[in-house]
Amino acid sequence: MHIQRLPDDVASQIAAGEVVERPASVVKELVENALDAGASQIVIRIEQAGKSLIEVADDGRGIPLEDLDLAVTKHATSKLRTAEDLFHIQTLGFRGEALASIGSISRLTLISRTAEQKMGGKIIVDGGKLVLREQIGAPVGTIIQVQNMFYNVPARLKFLKRDSTERQQIENFISRYAIAYPLIRFLLVVDGKNVFQTNGKGNQREIVAQLYGIDLARQMLEVNLEEDDLQIRGLISPISLTRSNRKEITFFINGRWVQDTPLISALLQAYHTLLMVGRYPMAVLFIELPPEDVDVNVHPAKAEVRFRNPDRLFSTVQRAVRRALMAHSPVPIMQSSGWQSPRLNSWEGERIPDPAWQMQIQTPSGPLSSMDDTAMPGKPDEQSAPQASPIPSGQIPLLRLIGQVGGVYLVAEGPDGIYLIDQHAAHERVLFEKLMHQQGSLVMQPLLSPIVIHLPPAQSSLLAEQLVALSHLGFQVDEFGTNTFRIHSIPAMFSTGDPAAAIRSLVEDFEEDETPFQEEIETKIAARVCKRMAVKAGQAMALEEQKALIRELEACESPRTCPHGRPTMILLSVDLLERQFGRRGSR
Amino acid sequence: MKVSVSQQQLAHGLGVVSRAVNPRSTLPVLGNILIATDEGRLRLSATNLELGITCWIPAQITEEGSVTMPARTFTDLISTFPNDTVVMNLDARTQTMTVRCGFNSTDIKGIDAQEFPPIPVPDLSAGVTLNMADFREMIQQVVFAASTDETRPVLQGVMTTIANNEVALAATDGFRISIRKLPLAAPFEKTYNLIIPARALSELARIAVDGDQTLTMNVPPGRGQVIFHLKNTEVVSQLIDGNFPDYRAIIPRSFKTHTVLSRGEFLNACKQAEIIARETNNVIRMEIKTNPDRPGEIKISAQAEQTGSSDVNLDANVDGEGITIAFNVRFLREVLDVVKTPSVVLETNAHNTPAILKPVGDDTFTHVIMPMHLG
Ligand SMILES: Nc1ncnc2c1ncn2[C@@H]1O[C@H](COP(=O)(O)OP(=O)(O)O)[C@@H](O)[C@H]1O
Ligand SMILES: [Mg+2]
Repeated sequence: MHIQRLPDDVASQIAAGEVVERPASVVKELVENALDAGASQIVIRIEQAGKSLIEVADDGRGIPLEDLDLAVTKHATSKLRTAEDLFHIQTLGFRGEALASIGSISRLTLISRTAEQKMGGKIIVDGGKLVLREQIGAPVGTIIQVQNMFYNVPARLKFLKRDSTERQQIENFISRYAIAYPLIRFLLVVDGKNVFQTNGKGNQREIVAQLYGIDLARQMLEVNLEEDDLQIRGLISPISLTRSNRKEITFFINGRWVQDTPLISALLQAYHTLLMVGRYPMAVLFIELPPEDVDVNVHPAKAEVRFRNPDRLFSTVQRAVRRALMAHSPVPIMQSSGWQSPRLNSWEGERIPDPAWQMQIQTPSGPLSSMDDTAMPGKPDEQSAPQASPIPSGQIPLLRLIGQVGGVYLVAEGPDGIYLIDQHAAHERVLFEKLMHQQGSLVMQPLLSPIVIHLPPAQSSLLAEQLVALSHLGFQVDEFGTNTFRIHSIPAMFSTGDPAAAIRSLVEDFEEDETPFQEEIETKIAARVCKRMAVKAGQAMALEEQKALIRELEACESPRTCPHGRPTMILLSVDLLERQFGRRGSR
Repeated sequence: MKVSVSQQQLAHGLGVVSRAVNPRSTLPVLGNILIATDEGRLRLSATNLELGITCWIPAQITEEGSVTMPARTFTDLISTFPNDTVVMNLDARTQTMTVRCGFNSTDIKGIDAQEFPPIPVPDLSAGVTLNMADFREMIQQVVFAASTDETRPVLQGVMTTIANNEVALAATDGFRISIRKLPLAAPFEKTYNLIIPARALSELARIAVDGDQTLTMNVPPGRGQVIFHLKNTEVVSQLIDGNFPDYRAIIPRSFKTHTVLSRGEFLNACKQAEIIARETNNVIRMEIKTNPDRPGEIKISAQAEQTGSSDVNLDANVDGEGITIAFNVRFLREVLDVVKTPSVVLETNAHNTPAILKPVGDDTFTHVIMPMHLG
């Protein structure tokens, strides 16, 4: 094939791919434009998760009639004049690419009027071609409609996810921006239904309350630190309030949501040792710094930025968060002493083994690892030793409890050696099998009065889809107004736990599109609830509880792994022990 | 500091305060017990920052002073001493205390008392006075219904209301509520709505000895704390911040069936059924039957695939319609354990609406239980 210049429309479709990947990216570009235009109200309407329609209407300054064509032309922007301007960008947009790109992969209608002009204008771009230009009456502001996104790029269309996933991304985005711009009224309408609305009164905590419930919002701690030209503000969760993933950590840098940033690590480090392994804080932090200190022109979708002085920013964020945590910590003096204390690093916090424990098991030069096939596992998933292997499935022999170690493991004796049992994983397994086996003889414990929970729109959609699956497991939950649910009853086996937390844990870490098959979803939900309800590492158990757990584990069908596939136990075989102690030669 | 005390009294005092020691604290001084001379007595204090306990014991003071001693080491040592006089002598420079009793002399290294968190002093004149024996009974009748789940701090607390010359305690885990009221002995103007950690109240009930006839409850303004002052002991607890569910709205007002039965027989039947029900999420089924010619009866049954099944029949006075209803037998057992009267009444409407269990002839105690639902 000869080299040929690509036809214009193909070239712009390719370029569009960098800016618009999915409905949420269109929403992002349009909302950013509205914000740049100084809007005080932004109404976002989507239909079919944005695939058939995305409409963003604002009351901002509008586009002059004579500029309408330019707005949808490539590299046409009102926000930047010279290359020099790139180094102190004050607006969210600057590349002049978005409208042109969107117009090349959809049917885009743009209606706009400025306050100075009596008539507004309307243009329609369809698949990159201008098909209509007319003057019409319109309110001051801009309305942009994007219809049939990707209709002319079937390859892209194929890559879109399920409607619910695409919708959640949009909802997530709007929720974040609503918190970041509390003075602007946002309204999100999904398939004709108002799913989320803010009042523009400037109260961030109130918006957080709308999204996550009043209780949670009240607990959030305020971060506020100003140093020279650097300002860090926002809300972070106290250490008692955690999530199972980092999705609720949000950074806005100069008004822009930046999803991919090392600042997340700075935040996590500030919480380090205060949270259990696998738990993450929630945070919305707003960082303001001089525009020339940030380079936003790294990524076409502007989701990434570079800092001129990352180290300083990193440490300031960490300090700001630490300070907020300390100010509200129940142990005010902690700060002054002992963060390095080995006791803190022990079982209670992160599951970092105590040095003494390490000596016995992990020392590289220790006797255990000196043998070819007997390297002891540091973490269960790294382990490879046949004797210490948890792999063989099937029932386990009767065990005699010896005791609990460090509040994390149970030690038991079996006919073939010593069993180390991870109490959390073991309990997860026990609960899981009970929950899955109760079908048919479902026992529910209703609540005296239903518990009401609020979820952000994205999580609400998720939960709403799974109500039937939940009811099969014994959770009776119904929708109670927008983004609000009522829990009426829970499986009787969980009647000592927190029903709301169980339900939250379900939606918290649902990955996109995780399982399309309903049967699988039920199993996943069950596994997730059990994980949340199981005893935690670091939780002391009474002797009776320890014995009961071992008894129940013995009765399990697959006692050797937790529902997520991690081992529940490690066997130190008699054979292994004998060789380790030199009672018998190693073959 | 130099003091002499009786080994028995010291050991007892240490036993009382050590319940507030947190050996796992990241703050070493919280693993210690404060020992200080205090107006002719020796004061022992421990705190985990949520709960603080102080106890005063008689002492002969030669030299004033204070120090904190590692709780475990110090308590273990004192408990091995004979019932004799213990002499303690602090070297303030090294913060080392020499403890002597009989032929034993032990040096224990302490931490400066300055590092110990300050413990608030109650304003006794502004407090409510309560009868200790009554209050202890009240506590026992509600605390078991509080939640043990750490993620729901509000439900780990006991709603304590003082209003209209009455004190009311209520605790709930969302599935049941236990409510106990008592008129105050003396009129009290202020109104309090406090959520006190159930754990703190349990400790208080445990500590109170027969010698304590009354206690004074004091809420220092703006501190988020409550102080219980007994003769020789003080318990300070952090209050829980939050909204306690409005339990008054949940209590049903009228019932279709009133079943009166012997507390003892009912409790026994529950204990028997629980042995089987343990394996099946504690479910028991209760069939309440009326008879035209003789008193009614109740059948309590439990079934477990693995273990077997159990049926217990009880006589009862049933007034109203018959009903079959399922309960978590542990909930029944726990409330029957704390009822004091010989007969109880179980009031029900339907298999899926709250039931009430209360003593017959005593209006101060009400327990609401949500029945279970078999799908
Ligand atoms: N909602 C709006 N209100 C006012 N002007 C707008 C709006 N949306 C777009 N524009 C104008 O159209 C131009 C092009 O928009 P866009 O393609 O998103 O590029 P950029 O935002 O990078 O400048 C903007 O520079 C702005 O002048
Ligand atoms: Mg733009």
